[in-house]
Amino acid sequence: MFLLPKGSPLFENLAASKLKLPEVLSKLSTAAFTGYASFIFPATTTLLVFESGKLVSIQQEDQRGEQKNGFEALTELAEKIVTSTSGTLNVYKLSKDLTACIHSLLQGEILYKAQELKLIDIKSLLDKIKSDQMNGCLRIYTADRSAMIFYKEGNPLGFFHDGSQDIETSSVESQKIATMPGAKIDLYSTQGAEALMDMDLLQVTNVQTIWDTAVERQQSESAKVSQERQERDRKIMALKLNDLEEQLKTIVSEYCGKVGRAMVDKELSDQGGNFCIIDENGAAKLLAGIERGAKLLISATNIRAMMEKLTNLVQTAQSDL
Amino acid sequence: MEKVIEILSQINPFDLTLVILWGLAGVISFYFSIGNARVWTSIAIGFFLIFISQAYAINPYLQYYKLSAFHYIIGTVAIMLITHGFLEYYVFCKTFEISGKKIVVYLTTLLILAASGVFLLINPTPGPNTIRNIKMVENAIWVFLCLMNLELVRKIYLSIKDSDISKGFIAFGIVFFFIFLWKGSELYLQVYLWDKDWQDIIAMATDEVTDIDQYPLRVQLSQQVNKYAGLLSGLSVGGTFTYIYRLLK
Repeated sequence: MFLLPKGSPLFENLAASKLKLPEVLSKLSTAAFTGYASFIFPATTTLLVFESGKLVSIQQEDQRGEQKNGFEALTELAEKIVTSTSGTLNVYKLSKDLTACIHSLLQGEILYKAQELKLIDIKSLLDKIKSDQMNGCLRIYTADRSAMIFYKEGNPLGFFHDGSQDIETSSVESQKIATMPGAKIDLYSTQGAEALMDMDLLQVTNVQTIWDTAVERQQSESAKVSQERQERDRKIMALKLNDLEEQLKTIVSEYCGKVGRAMVDKELSDQGGNFCIIDENGAAKLLAGIERGAKLLISATNIRAMMEKLTNLVQTAQSDL
Repeated sequence: MEKVIEILSQINPFDLTLVILWGLAGVISFYFSIGNARVWTSIAIGFFLIFISQAYAINPYLQYYKLSAFHYIIGTVAIMLITHGFLEYYVFCKTFEISGKKIVVYLTTLLILAASGVFLLINPTPGPNTIRNIKMVENAIWVFLCLMNLELVRKIYLSIKDSDISKGFIAFGIVFFFIFLWKGSELYLQVYLWDKDWQDIIAMATDEVTDIDQYPLRVQLSQQVNKYAGLLSGLSVGGTFTYIYRLLK
């Protein structure tokens, strides 16, 4: 996924699940922040670019490389924060110029994506950029590091790498990354600054409403899932209790005859149903009732044997359930 | 003690055997009632009271007619208590409801007997005719309740056929059959004025008459049935409770 070089870190690795999106955006806006914030989740990365507190660009990219922008990206981000238990927020301060470059990069078009550096004739590519007088960005990256080279009209503007707050002139970092195993490049063509829309997305979207909707949806989903789980658990419990009841009746009728089943039914009914089997007090009363009835039907020896079996069954059930 | 020995020597050996058998049956049933459920208390106490009622034969104070009448009243209470017990057992077989305390059975029985005693005390001393009437009422109640108990025992047996105790109810059926013959034969004699008590009454120079001489065979048969059915009743009660005790051990 899209990884920008780290600028001057303001916050790093904040747990996204503990944050509220409207508050985060409001703070960055109020502080006239310039730079970018990245929300990194296992399946998506969302970049929010701020210029003097204005949210000028937002882009979300998933693992397949599909991108979303604007309102759609904001909505997705809200959903992710609310539903995900993992995810981090990093906020990096950048200069206005570098921020403008990032902004135009995000609005740009990708020409080459994820090309392995060792398979590319990099010299020819650079010549092409110059000859086409491209406005663009060449991103050199590995799994966890990246550097960028900005071009204006085919000429390199400068570099952006981890720790930079402004456009750098040194290419050392970029060269270092280029020599790392598995290094890749992306080439973007970007629009000129004058062509970019300088709209503050926070003014045209109601972030609080987006957030509230996401929270409500998540709560409703959670409630539904919880309800479904409870329903499922109830059904499983009911099946287990019915099975227990049947085992009880089998044991009692083994000793007392057919009348034993009816006797168990009556005692269960007196105790409010078969849930009493797994309740300590209820089970004690149930067994006492069965024993009382059995005394009129079978011998003391058989009563003892039957009660032992019933007690073992009930105790096992209580510990399992 | 001397008086008891004197009475024992005067008593008919057959009657004495009967009393002893009922005594044994009474002890066994009373012992049974102590260690078992409340339902058995009514039944067992009822059979024990039969012994008390039969013990008039060795009662040295039988010349007191009120006491004599009291024996027959005890017999009536006995069969009512037994029937009450079997009814409770039948209710249990159908609903599995068991309620009440043993002490209530003991106390209620004592209360009824006490009330009967008071009744006799506050009324004039019964003559031979009155005592005979009391005895007839007792026999009539016995006969009808025996039939009812036979039906109850049958229904109970069908409900609990495959339990340990079901065979005990077959034994009870036999008991009630013998008791039905025992009391039924005596009632038959009493109804037709062929019983000994009536013969004794008319022998006391009254204007009453009897046609006993015209039906010697029936009278003799009924007397024999009464004699031996009484014996078999005592035997079967003792045997039945012993059997049930072993079944429930």
